[in-house]
Amino acid sequence: MNTVAEHIADFLKEYKPFDNLTFQELSDIATNIRVINLEKHAVLFQNNDPLHDSFYVVASGVINLTTIADAEETIINKCHEGDIFGLRPFFAKNNYMMTAKAREESIIYAIPIAVFRPFVANNSDVLNFLLESFAVNSRHTKDSVNSNGKLISDVDYIDQQSEMQYIQSLNYNNSPLTTQASHIVKDVAILMTESMVDNIIICEKNHPIGIVTNADLSSKIATGRYPITETIDKIMSSPVVTVLENVSLAEAQLLMLKHNVTHLCVTKDGTSKSVVKGIISEHDLIVAQASNPGVLIKEIKRSQLPKDLKQIRDRLSDLIQNSIQKNIPISHVSNIASEINLAIIKRAVELSILDLGSPPARFAWLSIGSQGRKEQLLLTDQDSILIFEDVTPEKYREVKDYFLRLAKRTTSILEKVGYEYCPNGHMGSNMLWCKSLSDWTKQYNSWMNTPGENSNDLSSIFFDYEIVFGEAKIEEAIENVIFKNAVNNTLFFDFLGNDALKRNSPLSFFKKFIIEEEGPHKGKFDIKTRALMPLIDGARLLILNANIKGIQNTYLRFKQLAITDSKNAEIYLSCAEAFLTLSKFRTVEGLKNDDSGQYINLREMSKTDKEKLKNALAPMKDLEELIKSKFQLTQFS
Amino acid sequence: MLDWLKNINKDYPEFWKDYLTKFESKPNKFVVLSTETSGLNPDKDVILSLGAFSVIDNSIVIKESFETVLLQYKYLQDNGLSNEFIIESKMMKMPEPDALEALVNFIGNSILVGHHINFDVEMLNAALERLDCGRLKNEALDVDVMYRKLTDINDKQFSLDDLCEIYKIPKSDRNSSSEDAYRIGLLFLKLKSRLGIK
Repeated sequence: MNTVAEHIADFLKEYKPFDNLTFQELSDIATNIRVINLEKHAVLFQNNDPLHDSFYVVASGVINLTTIADAEETIINKCHEGDIFGLRPFFAKNNYMMTAKAREESIIYAIPIAVFRPFVANNSDVLNFLLESFAVNSRHTKDSVNSNGKLISDVDYIDQQSEMQYIQSLNYNNSPLTTQASHIVKDVAILMTESMVDNIIICEKNHPIGIVTNADLSSKIATGRYPITETIDKIMSSPVVTVLENVSLAEAQLLMLKHNVTHLCVTKDGTSKSVVKGIISEHDLIVAQASNPGVLIKEIKRSQLPKDLKQIRDRLSDLIQNSIQKNIPISHVSNIASEINLAIIKRAVELSILDLGSPPARFAWLSIGSQGRKEQLLLTDQDSILIFEDVTPEKYREVKDYFLRLAKRTTSILEKVGYEYCPNGHMGSNMLWCKSLSDWTKQYNSWMNTPGENSNDLSSIFFDYEIVFGEAKIEEAIENVIFKNAVNNTLFFDFLGNDALKRNSPLSFFKKFIIEEEGPHKGKFDIKTRALMPLIDGARLLILNANIKGIQNTYLRFKQLAITDSKNAEIYLSCAEAFLTLSKFRTVEGLKNDDSGQYINLREMSKTDKEKLKNALAPMKDLEELIKSKFQLTQFS
Repeated sequence: MLDWLKNINKDYPEFWKDYLTKFESKPNKFVVLSTETSGLNPDKDVILSLGAFSVIDNSIVIKESFETVLLQYKYLQDNGLSNEFIIESKMMKMPEPDALEALVNFIGNSILVGHHINFDVEMLNAALERLDCGRLKNEALDVDVMYRKLTDINDKQFSLDDLCEIYKIPKSDRNSSSEDAYRIGLLFLKLKSRLGIK
């Protein structure tokens, strides 16, 4: 009988999968636990470390799980109180494939695998939970399937995979065949046949100087151009394209396309002047890609009818939901989602053109608002504008008429796909927002130089735009107008600044959430207006003020601001982080209720989630102060 | 030097002789220790319960723990106190001599860690004297002293609750020497890494 062990058992039984075990079982497990304290930034294990004999549960604090791809550290998971991680030793025999690092001082329970294993074997709920968690934590689906095929095929595992290729790393052959330049072709071919591989790297002092693949053998030997008694260096392809370890799927694919090769050689420092570590073949890419967003985009391009597009949009929702469940970083998820949204809108414009015939002038279809910022994860309403090039006055009427019809058709297709019409009419099909470049220039000039005069018209969403279809030059022209007008435009920034600050604060004086007091959403928290909009508005204001072009995304805007205005970097970085957290809450809520996720039901939230949400609201105060002092707004507000 | 040689000839209980020989080798672990006593006077007061955990390789090993309630019939009777609370406890109960023997076996030559550990050690020494044993020979570390050393504060003492608050270690609803020992253990891990103690 051990009182502290009982305490720990009490703690564990609150969390999955421990809730499936009896208290006695949990006490037995708790008795065998080791308690570890990790200081901030302390590393528990890192990539390539040999496996520990335990897996881990966070007792307090936060542990970041990170992986390195394309020489950049990416956080793939954050473990909070009660989360388990480091499950690899349960399922795989090779070393850790990620790094676990304390984001703040944390206390961790180490549960020995040997103690826990019997409970896994006897309890299918526990097993299933661990398998799912492992899928989250490993991402290396292929090797886990291979090394432990039977275990994993027990659950429907492969189907859940819809990985994000940006961060997906690759499994490849890391014990490649190598040989020396002086070896005879026939011997090398025998070696390749015996090892059942289609390639071999030619090395000189362990550095790769060339590669021979089956293609070389068939085109140079089988054709009789070289005898089989020739030395291998005569037929090798050289130089060989080399990459760093931990290359991501996306980069590997780009490199193969760029160099028109089918194999990449992995070396220690990524150059041909270092030791060979592995070989990536085209086949590895195909395996890794079995289900990915690229496939969706291809299908979008082939779609003929709105209902085909609708089906694809529904699949995107599944993809988003899965990705969020699997804790893939929200910034990656929204990148992918907005690419797919973009492809759908583009296809809608194309289908309209196919119906109406070629446009009589050049034009640009811009998404504005959330899609313009690439932040659209849920099915929200459409926001768009249409800009066409200037034409002679006598043709104007006819041209505008064409584009209005084009826009109406497009928005109606999108409505069929599931994007509702904008309730404020901010769409290209509205004759106000479908006009010529010089009219648009006038429009922006008047918005920015005399803000407030026609303030009913000015909506800040017109300052977040992205070209979907048409002439990029038209978008550039508008961007130039905006940035030219922004320079030293105190009036405009005062206006935008006050607009950004006028939102109601999310928390009361006593740090309680301020909830809707009446209306259909009574008792819920308006995460869009009270939490996300202030960050979005703030980022837009600051980025326009800093005269930084081409960054439309709130997260990236804060990241960029942290670089440009380094003395406030901390505020910007915490805002960037907070924005992601809040977007995730909104998306999860939206997916749950199949709506825009604007209103969050706090009563259905767990205590830890509420804490997380509250923490994400903290940086807003700093941002507000920063905006006030930067634009000297106190006298107005 | 060779102090223990002299001791061996004295008529100590077996477990104490055994304990003394353990100091031939270097300690390989820490033991966090907490006692609950009837008061602050080592001569008059007694230990009511004991809790201890091993700290090995920077982690608290829950399995290597020792906790017991001491049955103090004589003390309670002399002071006209009821011993009901002891009967109600689910913890392992031992008479004082057995408990001390078990504790001494458990701590071995480890480095003791506690909060105001000198007092715990004095209480233990007084009880050991009643068993015709010598005084504890273990090195001892005090988390309060460690904290003051870290922060360079010399003019005040910190209670266990103060320190736990500073390091955000949650208070426990059930108070026992074993709970305290665990909290001291967590404090010790935090202070240890900050002070760079190996």
